[in-house]
Amino acid sequence: MTTSFIRSDDFAAFLTAMMEAVPVYGPVAKRSRFVFERLEAPDELRLDYDVTILPPKKLFFPPAQDLLRFDEAGVEAALEPTEKVLLGVHFYDVKAIDQTDLLFSERNYDVNYMGHRETTTIVASNIQNVSGRAFFASVGTDVQPEGHDAFLTAIEGGYVFETRTERGEALLGYGAFQPATDAQIDEAARVNAAALEQCPEKLEHGTEEIATKVRAAFGDDELWNELAADCFSCGTCNTVCPTCYCFDVQDTWNVDQSGQRTRFWDGCLTEDFAKCSLGDGGSENFREQRGQRFRHRIMRKATYLNEKLGGPACVGCGRCSAGCTADIADPVRVINRIMAS
Amino acid sequence: MSKPKVAFFDFACCEGCQIEMTNYGAEPFLELLKHVEIVEFREAMTETTTEPIDIALIEGSFTREADRARLMEIRKRAKIVIAYGQCATTGGINALKNHQTDYKQFVYGTDSDLPHLDSKKAYGVDHVIKVDYYAYGCPVNKYEVLQILLHLLHGKEPVIPNYPVCVECKRRETVCRFDEGDYCMGMVARAGCGAPCPAAGIPCEACRGFVDDPNLAAFEKVLVERAGFTPQRAAEKGRMFTANALEAS
Ligand code: SF4
Ligand code: SF4
Repeated sequence: MTTSFIRSDDFAAFLTAMMEAVPVYGPVAKRSRFVFERLEAPDELRLDYDVTILPPKKLFFPPAQDLLRFDEAGVEAALEPTEKVLLGVHFYDVKAIDQTDLLFSERNYDVNYMGHRETTTIVASNIQNVSGRAFFASVGTDVQPEGHDAFLTAIEGGYVFETRTERGEALLGYGAFQPATDAQIDEAARVNAAALEQCPEKLEHGTEEIATKVRAAFGDDELWNELAADCFSCGTCNTVCPTCYCFDVQDTWNVDQSGQRTRFWDGCLTEDFAKCSLGDGGSENFREQRGQRFRHRIMRKATYLNEKLGGPACVGCGRCSAGCTADIADPVRVINRIMAS
Repeated sequence: MSKPKVAFFDFACCEGCQIEMTNYGAEPFLELLKHVEIVEFREAMTETTTEPIDIALIEGSFTREADRARLMEIRKRAKIVIAYGQCATTGGINALKNHQTDYKQFVYGTDSDLPHLDSKKAYGVDHVIKVDYYAYGCPVNKYEVLQILLHLLHGKEPVIPNYPVCVECKRRETVCRFDEGDYCMGMVARAGCGAPCPAAGIPCEACRGFVDDPNLAAFEKVLVERAGFTPQRAAEKGRMFTANALEAS
């Protein structure tokens, strides 16, 4: 694959040509924050964003996704994936996409996720501004981001564009790219290394050590109840997390007897998440206490999935820390506290 | 098979939720009438019934002792009772008077001694009778009522959210009110509305009441620490739609 350079002055024309050919999604401003949206004009793109409210997984795994439509005549699949480019994904979110790619494709191949995923070309980009609660530099440090087709780094006067796949290579056709010089490639490497130095928060220990000690704290009910004392069971820490992937499936009917089967994001912090039917109207909630639910999320992020994923199920984006109104969700504070005990 | 008989009843309320039932538009409403027979609906027809009913939809709160017998009589005749609208589900804004004693003079002046104004504390109708399903909201979401009816017609259990409004704000990527220096009740408020208020830049006031297990201690703490409320204002904040839940806590 190749490494090219495009001048800042030519960048808008590159975006315009690409947007004319295919829908392009990227970070745009929303009030004081940022979100991934379909670009309507090249100047909406905000590659200087710090972090988006929701991670890019929403494009493959929408918060509410119709799976089936049915009526008296039969059932049909609702999935209608379209080719698109997702531009400006930070590396921590690429690492999270790698995890959901694996989880939605191994064994039970989830067409409703993979259909959207397979039609998306992902262009990662360097982190120009670091969000206030990020710790991506100290979590899962030996896991590399894989699932992107190209990587864009802003340097003096333009962008270095490294292609990783044929699909990434194909994007070169939309812009006035030229081969990057060694100096430009070096500068891009420096820019990306510098972003890793700027995280405001930091895990103090390695993945293995954390996994072992956090798991050993499982039985410390007092600790978990204390950590979760202010928890609203609002599930924000789940909803905004790029590596959370639980969903609920519900049917709804239309008055004419047709209907749809829809899946919605679910979150293990909400009160009814673990409520199961016992039949005959009976039910049982196997994580009834806030502390149990809070513990479950930390266990999932720091230990339970490590073997399957090759690293922790947290990529250090800091969305949960910033999104928690009670400010108790921060994995760094929870983990560092357990490690210090 | 004859169509299930559906009746609407009202107690202490503005009947806005009943009016909302007339707002589906002709097409869906006529379609619905293919599947149910409406036998009593004060805002839309003159007929009433004393016959057994399959589904009774009750609006308004219980606040006059005189209404107890009528509620019990409806319950006796109805296979399924749905409380709809916040007055019927939790007491709604009627319960705002529950911590006061002078409201009658204040509201009705010289008429305050008229017998039909002899009301006590306001409660949801489940203070008196068993309620099978709840359609929350002030006003009620007519599509949610429809979805509950359609589930029942298909023999399925309706699914009524018991998670906070934060879930719906995050799903639609609304910038959190607290991040903009405001307050919000979303963390303790029952979702199901789709969170339109914070999306429009105004706080959630919990018009669907609280979730089953709201963390009110943490709620007051966050209002004080993050939104600059006085402790007293924080403690009373939930009163508008949730006075009974606050009193019970
Ligand atoms: S975001 Fe915070 S308050 Fe909400 S469920 Fe997570 S830990 Fe609890
Ligand atoms: S647990 Fe928090 S910091 Fe880690 S990936 Fe999820 S939202 Fe980001």
